[in-house]
Amino acid sequence: MWDTIFPYLLSGISVGGQYALIAIGYTMVYGILRLINFAHGDVFMVAGIMMVYIVAAGVPLWVAIPLVLILTALVGFLIERVAYKPLRSAPRMSVMISAIGVSYTLQNLVLYITGGLNKQYPTIPWISETIVLGTAKTKLVTVITPVLVIVLVVALVMLINKTKIGMAMRAVSKDFETSQLMGIKINQVISATFVIGSFLAGVGSVLYFTNYTTVIQTSGAMPGLKAFVAAVFGGIGSIPGAVIGAFIIGIMENIIKGLDVILFKSGLIDKPVGLATFSDAFTFALLIIILVVKPTGLFGESAADKV
Amino acid sequence: MKSKQSKRPFIITWVVVAVIYLAVFIAEQKLPATSMLFTVLKKGATYALVAVSMNLLNGFTGIFSLGQAGFMLVGAYVYGIFTIPVELRAQVYQYYDGGLVQFTVPVVLAMIMAGLAAAFFAFLIGLPVLRLKSDYLAIATLGFAEIVRAIFQWNNLGPLTNGSNMLRLFPNFNDFNLRDADGNVTVYLSTLIPFIISGVCIFLIVLLIRSNYGRAFKAIRDDEVAAEAMGINLAHHKQLAFCISSFFAGVGGAMLAMYQTTVQAKSFTTAMTYEILLIVVIGGIGSVTGSVISSFLFVACSEWWLRFLDEKQMIGDFEVPFLRNGFRLVVFSVIIMIVVLFFRRGIMGDKELWDLGSGAKKQERRAAK
Amino acid sequence: MSKNVLRLENITMQFGGVVAINDLSMRIDEGEIVALIGPNGAGKTTAFNCITGVYEPTNGAVYFHDKVIAAAHPTGKMKRMYAGNDPEKFKGMHVQMTPDKITHMGIARTFQNIRLFKSQTAFENVLIGTHLRRTSNVFSATFHLNDKEENRNREKAMELLDIVGLADVAEEKATSLPYGKQRRLEIARALATEPTLLLLDEPAAGMNPQETIELGQFIQQIKNDFNLTVFVIEHHMDLVMGISDRIYVIEFGKQIAEGTPEEIQNNQAVIDAYLGGNDE
Repeated sequence: MWDTIFPYLLSGISVGGQYALIAIGYTMVYGILRLINFAHGDVFMVAGIMMVYIVAAGVPLWVAIPLVLILTALVGFLIERVAYKPLRSAPRMSVMISAIGVSYTLQNLVLYITGGLNKQYPTIPWISETIVLGTAKTKLVTVITPVLVIVLVVALVMLINKTKIGMAMRAVSKDFETSQLMGIKINQVISATFVIGSFLAGVGSVLYFTNYTTVIQTSGAMPGLKAFVAAVFGGIGSIPGAVIGAFIIGIMENIIKGLDVILFKSGLIDKPVGLATFSDAFTFALLIIILVVKPTGLFGESAADKV
Repeated sequence: MKSKQSKRPFIITWVVVAVIYLAVFIAEQKLPATSMLFTVLKKGATYALVAVSMNLLNGFTGIFSLGQAGFMLVGAYVYGIFTIPVELRAQVYQYYDGGLVQFTVPVVLAMIMAGLAAAFFAFLIGLPVLRLKSDYLAIATLGFAEIVRAIFQWNNLGPLTNGSNMLRLFPNFNDFNLRDADGNVTVYLSTLIPFIISGVCIFLIVLLIRSNYGRAFKAIRDDEVAAEAMGINLAHHKQLAFCISSFFAGVGGAMLAMYQTTVQAKSFTTAMTYEILLIVVIGGIGSVTGSVISSFLFVACSEWWLRFLDEKQMIGDFEVPFLRNGFRLVVFSVIIMIVVLFFRRGIMGDKELWDLGSGAKKQERRAAK
Repeated sequence: MSKNVLRLENITMQFGGVVAINDLSMRIDEGEIVALIGPNGAGKTTAFNCITGVYEPTNGAVYFHDKVIAAAHPTGKMKRMYAGNDPEKFKGMHVQMTPDKITHMGIARTFQNIRLFKSQTAFENVLIGTHLRRTSNVFSATFHLNDKEENRNREKAMELLDIVGLADVAEEKATSLPYGKQRRLEIARALATEPTLLLLDEPAAGMNPQETIELGQFIQQIKNDFNLTVFVIEHHMDLVMGISDRIYVIEFGKQIAEGTPEEIQNNQAVIDAYLGGNDE
C-alpha cells in the first residue's frame, strides 16, 4: 500500500512546491492590490519559453538561468506598469478584466513566436538526474524543490519582516489609502511586489518544466489557477498559508491521479474507474468548499465591511 | 409625461433589425453557401447570445461570473445527446454500445432542454457561490466550469456523454435548409435560423432588463446595501439572474454545437469564457446592443478580416515582415488591451441602439435652455 | 396611550472589543416624530443599522409592531469579550431578519452618506422602491403582463417625485443632482416602499438654515400625509427641537437622556456632552 502511494506522494510534494512558488506571487499581489492577477500563471509560462529560446541561442546554462529569472521579474514589472497602474482608481472589475486581457495577450504572443508547438525545455544537468528513493524512481528536482521552497520562503519572510520595503508592503496591505497618506511610495511597493512574485514564479518554472519537459502557450493556465486556489485555501494574503495550501493541493492532486492504481493494487476496486479525470476538478471542488465554509482560508484574517 | 417614453427610437430599432434579417435572407439565397460571410454570421449570432447572457450577469446585475463556458458545455451536450438520430447512435457511441439514450426529441425542445439543464446547474452552484464577493465569485464559477468539464469527460459517464470522445451527427444549422425530393437546396435558411433563435432569446433578455426585475438587477449592481434596504431580496434576485443567464448560455451552447457540428468537452475551456468576457467589454459592459455588435466584429476579425495577418503578404517585391501564423491573434490582443485600458466604456458604453436618438434629443434640449 | 411601533430592548452592539452601542432601550409610538441625537461616533447610525437588519446586534431585541425582528445574545468568541449587560436575558431567542424583509414589513430608511442608484435616473430610483410590493413574477414581468401594475407604479413614482419637488428633474441621473435634492430623492425612494416607520439618517446634513426649515415642514407634512411614524438622526438642533415629540440622547453608545425638546434643552448631562465640559 505505502509502496504504491509513495511515488505519488513524492511527486505531489514536488509539484506542491512548484505551485507554492507561484502562489506566493498571487497572495502578495492580492494582499496589496486586492487583485487576482490572472496573468501570473502566464508569466510563469513566459519564463519557461524564455529559457527555451535563450538556451537555444547558445547561452550557457549558468548564465541563462539567472538571466531568465531577471527577465521574468522584468516582465512582471512591465505588466504592472502597463496594464494595472493606469487603472489604479478604476473599479475592481476593470482591473480584473485587464488582467484577463494580459493573460490572453501573453498566450497569443507566445503562440505567435512558437507557432503553437510544444517546445522542449532544456535539460539542466544535475537536477535532471534520475535517483531512486525506495520504490520511487524520480528526478533529483523532486527532492530539491521542497528544500528550495523552504529556503526561499524563509528569505522572503525575513525580507518582509526585517527590511524597510517589507515594512512598507505590510503597511500597504493593511491599509492602502492611509499608507499612501503616510508618505509610502505606493508605486514602488507595488512594483517590488510584482518583481518578487514574478521572480519566484521564474524559479518555479525552472523546477516545474524540468519535470514536465515541454512548454506551450497554455502551460501556465492550469498551474496558475491551481496556485491561486492554493493561495485562497491557505488564506489569501498569508505567505505561509499559500505555501501550505500549495503543498496540500499538489499532494492531493497527485494522489487522485494515482487513486485508480492505488485502489486497484490494494484490492478495493477490481477495475479502474477513471478517477484521474478529476485530478484538476478536485482542486476546484476544494476551492468552492473552502470559499463556502471558511472564505478567509486556513490562515486568513477577516475584515469587516463598513456600511 | 416623462414616464412615457417616445416610441420613435423603438420603431427605428425594429426597422433596422428587420432590414438586417431581410439582408441575411437575401444574401443567403444569392451568395455561395461557402462564403466566409456565413461562417461569421452564424458564429456571430451564437456568440451574440452568449455575450448578452453574460452581460446580463456581469453588466446588469454586477455579478462577476466566469462560468459561461461551463454552462455552454452543459447546453451543448444536452442538445447533442437528445438529438442524435437513433439509427446513428451506434456509430457515435461506438465504445459504449450505442449509449444510454435511445430516443430523440425535436430540435426546438432539445434547445429548451439545453437551457433548462444549464439553468439547473446554475441553481445548484448558485446556492453556495452567489454569497461570495466579486473576485471570489469569479474564481469559484471558473472552478465550477472546470469541474463540469471533468465530469463530462469521465469515461464512466460514457453511455450518456460519450466520455472524452466527441458527439456528432446531430442536426446542425445546414439541416435547416429546405430541400426538394432530390436533396437539392431550394431555400437557404442555415444562417437565418440561428439569427432568429438568437434574436428571439436576446429580445427576451431585453424585455427582462426593461421590466421591474431588470431595474432591481441594476439596483443590485449599483449598490447592494441600498437595494436591500429598498426591500430587494438579494439572494433571490441574484439567483434569478444567474439561472436566467445560464439558461441562455445553455441555449447558446446548443447553437455552438450546431455551428461546430461536433461537441467535445475539452474545447469548452476557460479561454472560451475569457473570449466572451472580452467581447462584452469591447461592446460595453451594460449594453445589449454593444455585446451584439462586438460579437460580430470579434468573430469577423478573428475568422475573416484579420486572416491575412496569418499569411505571408507581398507588396510588390517587398515581403511584409512579421506576418505568419498567429500574428492575427497578437494584433487582436493588442487591440483588446487598448480598449481595456483606454476605452473602458467600449463601443456603446451602457447605451442601447434605441437610446441613441433620445440621447441626442436630450442634448438638443439642454443646448436650447 | 397610542400603539407601539418600534421598541429596542437592551441593544448592545460590539465590534470585537469596541462597544458601539451599550444597552440601549427605547420605544417609539404611532404617529410620533422621535429624534436620536448625540456627538459624532456616539453610535446613532449603528442603531439604525441594527434596526434595519444591516447589523446583527450582539445582545438585545428589536420589536416592530410588537413582532420581534431581531434578537440575539452573545455567543461563541463574543461570550468572552462581551462588555454589555444581561447576556442571559435573550437566551433562547435568535431572530435575524434580512434588511429586505424588514423593509417589507414597513420600515424604510435613508442613508447618512447618500446611497442612490448611481446609473439610474431620479424617476427610476423611486420606481425601484415600488418593486418590493410587486405581484408580478419574473415571467409576467418579462412578457409585460403586469402593465397595469407597472403603470400604477410609474404614476406613483411620479407623484412621489412631485411631492418632494423633484418632478422637473425626473429624467436626470440621480447622482448629477445637487446634494439637497439627492437627500429628498432618498426620502421619495424610501416612501415608495410604503413604510409605516421612516428612518431618516441626518436628512439635513449639508443644508443651509433656510433649507433646514423647509425640511422640517416637509417631514411633518409627509408624516401626516402618509400616516407615518418618523425616527430621525440629526445634528441640526433647530430641526430636532422644532419637529420632535421626544428625543433620545446617546453618548459613547449609552443613553444619557430622554424627554421632550424642552427637557432635553435643560438637561445638564446633554449640555455637558455637547459642550464637552465634563470637567471632573
